Amino acid sequence: MDKVLVFVETRGDEPRKASLELLCEAEKLAASGKFTVEAVCFGAMSDTLKGKLLASARKLVRFTDPELAAYSPEGYARALAGYAAETGARLVLAGATGTGRDFLPRVAVMLGTGMVSDVTGANWFDEPMTFVRPMFGGKVFAEIAAPASPVVVTARPNSFAMDMPEGVSGEYEERAAGALADAIHTRVVRVEETKGDAVDLTEADLIVAGGRGLKAAENFKLIEDLAAAIGGTVGATRSVVDAKWRDQADQIGKSGKTVSPKLYIGAGISGAIHHIMGMDTSKVVLVVNRDPNAIIFNYANYGIVGDLFEVLPAMTEEIGKRRERG
Amino acid sequence: MNILVLVKQVPDPEALVEIASSGKDLNIEPKFAINLFDEFALEEALRVREKHGGKVKAISLGGSKAIEALRTAIAMGADEAMLIEDEAFAGGDGYNTALALSKALEKETFDIVLAGRQAIDADRGEVPQMVAQFLGLPHVGVVVKLDISDGKAVVESSLEGAKEVVEVALPAVFTAQKGLNEPRVPLITGVMKAMKVQIPKVAVEDLGLTKDVAAPENSKTKIVRYLPPKKRPAVQLIPGEAREAAAEAVRILIDVERVI
Amino acid sequence: MDFAFTEEQQFFKKIITDTVDRMVVPKAREIDEKDEFPWELWKEFTKLGYLGLRYPEEIGGMNADPVTAMIFYEQIARGSVGFAQSVIMNILMGTYFVYRFGSQAIKERCLFPAMKGDKVATMCFTEDQSGSDLSATRTTAVKDGNEWVINGTKMWITNGPVADFATVLATTDLSLGAKGLNFFLVEKGTPGFSPGQVLDKLGCRGTVTGELVFDNVRVPEENLLGAELNKGIEYLGEILDEVRVMTGAMAMGIAQAAYDEGLEYARKRIAFGKPIGNYQLIRAKFADMATEMEASRLLIYSAAWKMKEKLPSRIEAAMAKMFATETCCKVVDEVTRIWGANAFANEYNPQRHFRDARFLLYGGGTHEILKDFMGRLLIGK
Repeated sequence: MDKVLVFVETRGDEPRKASLELLCEAEKLAASGKFTVEAVCFGAMSDTLKGKLLASARKLVRFTDPELAAYSPEGYARALAGYAAETGARLVLAGATGTGRDFLPRVAVMLGTGMVSDVTGANWFDEPMTFVRPMFGGKVFAEIAAPASPVVVTARPNSFAMDMPEGVSGEYEERAAGALADAIHTRVVRVEETKGDAVDLTEADLIVAGGRGLKAAENFKLIEDLAAAIGGTVGATRSVVDAKWRDQADQIGKSGKTVSPKLYIGAGISGAIHHIMGMDTSKVVLVVNRDPNAIIFNYANYGIVGDLFEVLPAMTEEIGKRRERG
Repeated sequence: MNILVLVKQVPDPEALVEIASSGKDLNIEPKFAINLFDEFALEEALRVREKHGGKVKAISLGGSKAIEALRTAIAMGADEAMLIEDEAFAGGDGYNTALALSKALEKETFDIVLAGRQAIDADRGEVPQMVAQFLGLPHVGVVVKLDISDGKAVVESSLEGAKEVVEVALPAVFTAQKGLNEPRVPLITGVMKAMKVQIPKVAVEDLGLTKDVAAPENSKTKIVRYLPPKKRPAVQLIPGEAREAAAEAVRILIDVERVI
Repeated sequence: MDFAFTEEQQFFKKIITDTVDRMVVPKAREIDEKDEFPWELWKEFTKLGYLGLRYPEEIGGMNADPVTAMIFYEQIARGSVGFAQSVIMNILMGTYFVYRFGSQAIKERCLFPAMKGDKVATMCFTEDQSGSDLSATRTTAVKDGNEWVINGTKMWITNGPVADFATVLATTDLSLGAKGLNFFLVEKGTPGFSPGQVLDKLGCRGTVTGELVFDNVRVPEENLLGAELNKGIEYLGEILDEVRVMTGAMAMGIAQAAYDEGLEYARKRIAFGKPIGNYQLIRAKFADMATEMEASRLLIYSAAWKMKEKLPSRIEAAMAKMFATETCCKVVDEVTRIWGANAFANEYNPQRHFRDARFLLYGGGTHEILKDFMGRLLIGK
């Protein structure tokens, strides 16, 4: 049986959603009988986190090396690649988060193999395995065959379903990679949390984005209120970021973040192509714009031709009412 | 301070990209540009040179047309440039690209390697880290601030939701993110120099590689075919005045689409 | 025959296209709306050094050949005609005769600063009653001791209201008609020289255009820009072809800007369930526009090539100017049709290109005059 390693990224007591999605996919691989799956994680593990992970993986291996407490590309790569080599892993998976995309390329080279980054689909049972990934900002998708072994893959968040079956109860093992101190040459001096506990746009399931139609920075409150009501993340267009109404971190688009939420609500956004390329793979798109000819309507499932200054607060209120009703 | 910048020529972001009828090729409008993120890398290299002295050398792996991207680097102010000319390697996967580049870098003396965080055509974001690994160098990715002093760099890396301040001894590899700087527009004197400059070309054989390494059958990963993006059904406009439409929208999102 | 730009010219085109996209295009609307000299953009852009485009490297210029120059003129006009006209005035017409005939002192006071953008230059030919008919020039220059005394009023002067120095066309003898014409340098601050009415124009807004008044303006002898007296018309011939082809190049810049807007709209605007670019009549418009633009560019760059090779180019320059500017007017017309009602909104760009294009029909020579002139050359006397 082929071994699959899933790198699990964690934040405090929570596994990252991108990792959980891969664990769901990996569980299907394990259930097929053709693969054995191990979740691999580094750093601190609270009982809460352990409980969550053991309900999502048939085996969890935690590396306890103190050097892995903080992220370093070389440390993480060395530990993961070392374990993949030791176990003869066939497949090494991670979420295509900032961290995943940063160190998995080093893992691939350490294992003498290539990788497929940021996949949105996979045919695990094909020979060779094939994957689908976006290119040219999503204008085109490529089907990639990975004949080399092992196969190293990062998967775009929200590409795979969160459908872990009941009853998974994993085995837990602790290991040490060893000899990491010499391998690590970067040192984290400090980490500045710029957005508190907000879900990052690239992983957000629910996004409410605003454009120049908001007319002024302070009007973004309407976007924030609606986002808060649905538990979503605020996004912005390039023109809004250039006008300094919002931070670069909020920018959705070609030179900003690519998002793939379940729901994207866009208000006061005309739909310039560079923005479209950052959100076009969103599952459900609802847009509000007073211009019936706004390009963005062509990229939406639902549209309201109206004044966002009336529609957004009305939606926020309605959601509040529905929540109260339960 | 010797600063190397890895530069890729990519299709212009506005160029038309269509899938050929065979599905195995792309028809791309022949408009090219220097990769957006590589511009940030180049600009940063120039700023480091302005502050600390030294030389900036731009290196690209590409076909013969990639010379234009290197000329642009010279126009912006790079001292030297070099093209590793090989279509097969240039069109190959991240592994082959990084392999060729790292072989070239092995012959160079440098303190810093700057690269864009990803190329906007392939969107892989793999090559700089792979190059670092091939060369046994540390890297810091997605850099939005770079400060050099005493043979080490203190950088700000913008991982999602947080900014990490990381220290690393040189030599090291850094990938540039938007927000690192504002790339300069070339002066006419730079343009004139770039128009006349002879840019040396290197073949992969000069790097100890053979062409067949990059042949599809030998590659670690390869593109089998291209697929169009999934089409969304035509938009459903929700009628009614503001409050009515808002209420209906919420109903659809909660009860029909079940997304909230 | 090699119709391609050289690798150097291709590279230059890439850089200037990109530079215009980054620096000029984002400001084009504002320049048109405010209709004021865009000082901020001027300072930013002139730092790059392009104002020295046509002058020798020894004095800080680029020594660009006519073909390269046309590439520049096309791109800068594509960005903003309002800005382009001011820039081009400094690059060529407003400084040429100073470069050609000015003393070293004059060059240091006027030409070199103009090449850096520190001074704004202009050329004054047109008067209220004389445009095509230069022989009807009524601005006079009368020798008085070792000074020239200039009297008259010039109209439609690009950069006029803000110019630091002007090359003024004046006659030494009204009875000689065109044969009495000369160029004189007049600098800001000279008593009697003042800007008059500023014109409120349909298009090319941002280029401040106006009246210049010369009331007993006295300038020293060396301010006669010419090796000999009364050779003004002959000297004008040195840049006439370039000015004409340049107008054609600017026309292509405007046409390209409009065409690109049309393209985007045809691809994205949905009618009857499909982008309108799917319909034959819309496709036909693009076929026609592209064909005529290609033909225009061939005329422009071939005329420029002849100028570069010092081959005769008088008639080719007139052909290029005429054809390209007429094409531009057709392109902006078609694009506004493609845009439909949206072309009527000042919020979008096609209306600006439509307005800007009109000046091309007479700037650089009216077509009525050009056709007469060309016909005469072709048929013979």
